Amino acid sequence: MIQFLIDTVIRALDLALIAVALSGVYSLIKFPNVALVQYAVVGAFLGMLLQQAGLPLVLALPVSALLVGGLAVVFNVLLFERLLTEGSAIALIGSLALSMILSAVFLLAFGPSAYRFELPVSPAMRLLGARVTLHQISTLAITVAALGGFAAILFLTRLGREMRATATNRVLASASGIDTRRVINATVFLSGVLAALGGMTLAMRGSVSIDLGTQMLLPVFAAAILGGLGNALGAIAGALVISAAETFVTNTNFGVLNGEGFLFLPASYAQTASFALLVGFLLLRPSGLFTSEVSRV
Amino acid sequence: MSDFLIHVAAVSCLYGILALALNLQMGFSGLVNFGLIALFGCGSYGAAFAHLWGWPPLAGLALGLVLAALLGLFFARLGARMSEDYWGIATLSLAEIMRLVFTNEQALAGGAQGVSGLPVTFSTLAGQGAGLSRLALYAALLVAAFILCQRITRSGFGMALKMMREEPQLARALGYDLGRMRAIVMVISSLMAAVAGFLYAHYLSFVGPEQLMSHETFLIWSMVIIGGIANNWGVVAGAFLMQFALAYVPFVKDWLDLPTDFVAATRLVIVGGGILAFLIWRPKGLFPERIGGSHG
Repeated sequence: MIQFLIDTVIRALDLALIAVALSGVYSLIKFPNVALVQYAVVGAFLGMLLQQAGLPLVLALPVSALLVGGLAVVFNVLLFERLLTEGSAIALIGSLALSMILSAVFLLAFGPSAYRFELPVSPAMRLLGARVTLHQISTLAITVAALGGFAAILFLTRLGREMRATATNRVLASASGIDTRRVINATVFLSGVLAALGGMTLAMRGSVSIDLGTQMLLPVFAAAILGGLGNALGAIAGALVISAAETFVTNTNFGVLNGEGFLFLPASYAQTASFALLVGFLLLRPSGLFTSEVSRV
Repeated sequence: MSDFLIHVAAVSCLYGILALALNLQMGFSGLVNFGLIALFGCGSYGAAFAHLWGWPPLAGLALGLVLAALLGLFFARLGARMSEDYWGIATLSLAEIMRLVFTNEQALAGGAQGVSGLPVTFSTLAGQGAGLSRLALYAALLVAAFILCQRITRSGFGMALKMMREEPQLARALGYDLGRMRAIVMVISSLMAAVAGFLYAHYLSFVGPEQLMSHETFLIWSMVIIGGIANNWGVVAGAFLMQFALAYVPFVKDWLDLPTDFVAATRLVIVGGGILAFLIWRPKGLFPERIGGSHG
């Protein structure tokens, strides 16, 4: 049971940072930016390159995160501002197209093989009877710190107040003297930073390859939608629900169902669980758990 | 006509049918479907099951059509209360579930290996006859699909669809049953996609889960966006343009002596870059939608 809880929390770490980034941007500019999962891959590759260039990991992580944040702002100014004038569906398609171009860049630059950070191998420790590795604990620390920092910006600073005001009513916010464009770009920057950190923590515990973005896309969306797209902290709850479902599907013995006493589903069904949960959930609550937005007719 | 040209033209015709089906959904009705490939998959797996179970191919077509109609109705049902972004993600998820199940269930149509050895349409004809007859059949079906789409979009129902796309609240206020319209559009275009999937299965003589990758859906999206959203001529032109552009990428690779990854990367750039370039500089595509006078 403890192992189940820990597996769930570890898996939630994979999703939480990127899902929070997705939700945070959605709350300001109303379109789900699919390219965010690719920003995570950019962050991981960039962090790795920086480490190979001789930067210690403690520096490589934040530098890569800041660079990806800047990149996210550049894409927002060059692409999405323009596409959003045509509508949110068009911007969504544009972000899918951007993802495809980014994966082509990864393919040419890194090829199809998997990469990992240069980290010392650490044996698993025992914590209350469950297996935990040192890297899992350090990524937990990074994730909690990053999410804590984001929450602090959102709720304690002037920028955070402006972000919340803009999310609630953009026209009113701009009428009361808030530079909404600057607020949006600041949020986009933060989302890039969070996504890049998410990609790097994933790569620290395993490896990163060009498929990572495609693999993360739907679980991250499922988490963000479950938490109510636009509700950044709800996304954390969504990530926990999704990862609990995935852990349950892959770690449970379904032998009772077929009468043979032993049946484990293949690991790739973990994804199926999150998609099915997403679709089933959308049938019941078409706009997420924690939203009160009025849906289309 | 060389075999290669016949091949590319034949595949273009099948993708033309898919592009028309997507255009009916997203172009005219505003239904942002990211799971079109699942409807195509109903047709191709219908053919695969018929082959495995020893049924005649036409029974496979019937099976594929039934599956596609049911899935289309389920998509429409999902769309009943969801905003378009959510619906797009939900359809993408459903297509991925389908692909993952077919990949992992060995007993279900061969798992990741898929089903091979399906009878190829017109394979008994000699020489180029087989290829040309297939091309003729696919072209005829493309023309039929095109006429069907033109008739639908120029009818009163087509006008209602456009109103649903532009002003859903107004359409509802005027007494249109949006759920029913959505269901009709989804079933018609699902059947079109399934026919294309069935023919494609009996063309390649192979059906496998990697044909259901979400990239394929975005390839069809690129055809619609480049050709011209909500223009039936345009999307067929877009399908041919994209298929011919992609077909010649390997030649460029050989000519410039580039590594194999170049082909996959260039395909991604052509599809993704094509979509982005057109969305930014020419959002109405090569052949913009004709507004007004469409009854003429």
